[in-house]
Amino acid sequence: MPPPMPKFSNSVKLKYVKLGYQYLVNHFLTLALVPVIITLLIQVIRLGPDEILTLWYSLRFDFLQILGSSFFVILLVTMFFMSRPRPVFLVDYVCYKPPASFRVPFSTFMEHSRIILSHEPKSVDFQMRILERSGLGEETCLPPAIHYIPPTPTMESSRGEAEMVIFSAIELLVNQTGIKPKDIDILIVNCSLFSPTPSLSAMVINKYKMRSNIRSFNLSGMGCSAGVIAIDLARDLLQVHPNSNALVVSTEIITPNNYQGKERSMLLPNCLFRMGAAAILLSNRRSDRCRAKYRLLHVVRTHRGADDKAYRCVYEEEDPEGKVGISLSKDLMAIAGEALKSNITTIGPLVLPASEQVLFLLSLIGRKIFNPKWKPYIPDFKQAFDHFCIHAGGRAVIDELQKSLLLSPEHVEASRMTLHRFGNTSSSSLWYEMSYIEAKGRMRKGDRVWQIAFGSGFKCNSAVWLCNRSVQTPTNGPWVDCIDRYPMHVPEVVKI
Amino acid sequence: MVSSDEQPLVHDIRLSTVGPGRVTGQDVVHEPTNMDQAMKLHYLRGVYYFKSQAVQGLTTSKIKESIFTWLNNFYHTCGGFRRAESGRPYIKCNDCGARFIEAQCVKTLDEWLQLEKDDDGSLRRMLVSNQVVGPELFFSPLVLLQITWFKCGGMSVGLSWAHVLGDAFSAADFMNSLGQVMAGHQLAQPLKLAQSHISAKISPSPPKSKDPLSVKRVGPVGDHWIAANNSKMKAFSFNLTSTQISHFHTKVCGQIGTNQIPFFECLCAVIWKVVAKIRDGPEPKMVTISKNDPHGRKNGILSNGQLISIVKADFSIMEANPKELAELVLNQAMDERSTIVEAVERDQGLSDLIVYGANLTFVDLEEADFYGLELKAQKPAYVGYTIDGVGDGGVVLLLPGPKDGPHNGGKVVTLIMPEDQVLKLKFELKKEFSIA
Repeated sequence: MPPPMPKFSNSVKLKYVKLGYQYLVNHFLTLALVPVIITLLIQVIRLGPDEILTLWYSLRFDFLQILGSSFFVILLVTMFFMSRPRPVFLVDYVCYKPPASFRVPFSTFMEHSRIILSHEPKSVDFQMRILERSGLGEETCLPPAIHYIPPTPTMESSRGEAEMVIFSAIELLVNQTGIKPKDIDILIVNCSLFSPTPSLSAMVINKYKMRSNIRSFNLSGMGCSAGVIAIDLARDLLQVHPNSNALVVSTEIITPNNYQGKERSMLLPNCLFRMGAAAILLSNRRSDRCRAKYRLLHVVRTHRGADDKAYRCVYEEEDPEGKVGISLSKDLMAIAGEALKSNITTIGPLVLPASEQVLFLLSLIGRKIFNPKWKPYIPDFKQAFDHFCIHAGGRAVIDELQKSLLLSPEHVEASRMTLHRFGNTSSSSLWYEMSYIEAKGRMRKGDRVWQIAFGSGFKCNSAVWLCNRSVQTPTNGPWVDCIDRYPMHVPEVVKI
Repeated sequence: MVSSDEQPLVHDIRLSTVGPGRVTGQDVVHEPTNMDQAMKLHYLRGVYYFKSQAVQGLTTSKIKESIFTWLNNFYHTCGGFRRAESGRPYIKCNDCGARFIEAQCVKTLDEWLQLEKDDDGSLRRMLVSNQVVGPELFFSPLVLLQITWFKCGGMSVGLSWAHVLGDAFSAADFMNSLGQVMAGHQLAQPLKLAQSHISAKISPSPPKSKDPLSVKRVGPVGDHWIAANNSKMKAFSFNLTSTQISHFHTKVCGQIGTNQIPFFECLCAVIWKVVAKIRDGPEPKMVTISKNDPHGRKNGILSNGQLISIVKADFSIMEANPKELAELVLNQAMDERSTIVEAVERDQGLSDLIVYGANLTFVDLEEADFYGLELKAQKPAYVGYTIDGVGDGGVVLLLPGPKDGPHNGGKVVTLIMPEDQVLKLKFELKKEFSIA
């Protein structure tokens, strides 16, 4: 028996085989056309110049026919260009950075917990265990009302937090892009758990004295994936309204949602959710084409609400003592996995190169016809995307996705570091992650970014962006004073 | 303490936590010295009163923002105590934070100060926290700050300070730097960076020597750092104007001239005599003196650098001449600091001692810069300090008086004595100082 090949050369050989296959399939059309063109060219040359001239004269029609056919061609071309969707550009975006005085170190969180839940040591221990393994750092922030022992969430303090984060973000965006609030045509604000009357979008319109014919929308109750839903809505509106721009504000207001009871399934959000907000300016104007940072390529939304288990896995309800909290079921990760599979099945054909699609198709056929026990082929999304922004819902979510999509630690670095520095900021976390990648100087023109978010319902939404111009390392932004400390190793368990 | 309309004098109390704005990092510890460990059962409670002009426009959130910047320089005060394997306590600098208490008062500042004059000290207690370290060592804050807003717009800042962090002079420096930060000045970087892991100190214990006379062993108190007293201690103070001071000084120590005994020693002598007179049982033949040690203090570092000495008298105190007694206190005080440090070292830091109140203790805080905490460039209208965790021997504090206005040059004498001796003491002291 021949000696087994050393592993290294084996894997190298395999790598070249893979590369060869990918090149062949992805450039199939080009590779197929080249011999055809060469053959044609050879034929033409063989005909000789006289023959070519004779061929040319015989093709001459009279003037009317030429005019008619050229009009027809122009009509076809125009119809083609007009039926294409308007490109949607992301001009710029900003993320809110809370001040250091809102910081919540682990020890402070635990100290408060012990005092507030002094009669429930088991619940306190549970919170400590979650915090130790959460992947959060010591700089995440909570709003002022939650710093009190016990927390004092009131309507006024919730509005206060909303005004602080949303107005700061919009202020930053206005300064950075030079846009005037009066020029905003579409306004979408998404905040899942705080929905006052008048709405947060009305609050923004009032503060910035926006136009009376502004198209405003307020999305509430849609969970952590509402950011992508808002982008989707903005895109659809920008198809209908030419020459417009849209301001999207994604945030989660923490103040009214602090759980004051002791049920373990409801204590998790207290440990993970933190303050954050992002403001994004989208546009379909030609003039913004050059200065825009990104172009929106695809948005894919998957809703698993039809399944009862999925519907109930993130559920806001009263605990046995009557205190309202969001209970997370034990099947959360499994359901998230299912939702992800649905989503990538839809997005795969849109973004994957032909080579991966063929392999996936073959594997699918093979499993259906030959042997259902064949392992399903997981398409290599690293070939379709250069950067991944996975919603920083928690360490478990990022670990699960890293495993399912076979991503390397570098790919999930933005998500892990955002979770460490800012905690789970819900719908705005995707933007903090984008900001991290830019701050690290990794965003180049032509790079594709995949944003994936999960949310209650159960939904899995993703957006694909194309980087329009190389982004310089920003001089401001939420990462500017701490980017040098990252990436840092986040231990599995932190000793409090 | 309820006023006529059923609302408590100090109400609307809200607790939160403040800490350093910067992350201190993992595994940063601060090891208290032996002298610090000796003082661990004592707590300083200080109240700074500000008129409304000094705090106009200040809000709680502005104060908190400044505090987060301020505590970057003092992150070890925001940690929590742990015990090493040997049982010796050390501070884990985990940014746990200082407690921040907000309160409202129904009285104006002037009304309140007037009420305090006739009060037995319990009113001032409402403006500062009386928490101690423990029973849970891990999560006990070492510093507690209380901001109380008065009806007129005035404000008081109550500092509750664990003596293990430093002496009153350090506490004063600590608070004064808050004023500097609020005024927008940058603090000099802390000279000392926190030490890394505790070195396993297994130094051979020195030969058994005598215990210092100025301390008393108590306990064991375990993780609840307060010693039990035989009698309940009460605090009272009286203000002395500069006229009263010079009058008293001349009366006790003779004409003003060279070789004059300082006021503090004269005060010690007189109060020693009074205490000897009114106390049942044998008269106190030993007193502990605590003063500032200017050489022992490094700028910007909080430490227990105060001088602690013992004075022994071998004659009858009641019969003694005050001037002689004052000279004894001035010249015959024996520095006990090294003995105390040795005693603590011998027990590897596990001993539970009290210093203040082991004997009748006199603490000279005249040089403490309490009035250095300036808000909007204005000094406090008044500063009062007291000590908790004092032994039955009692403590007498000599504090500086207000710096501005008609009271300039005055001083404040605060006594913390067993309850049953307070009335008699007040009576006698009023006679001595010719206070109406």
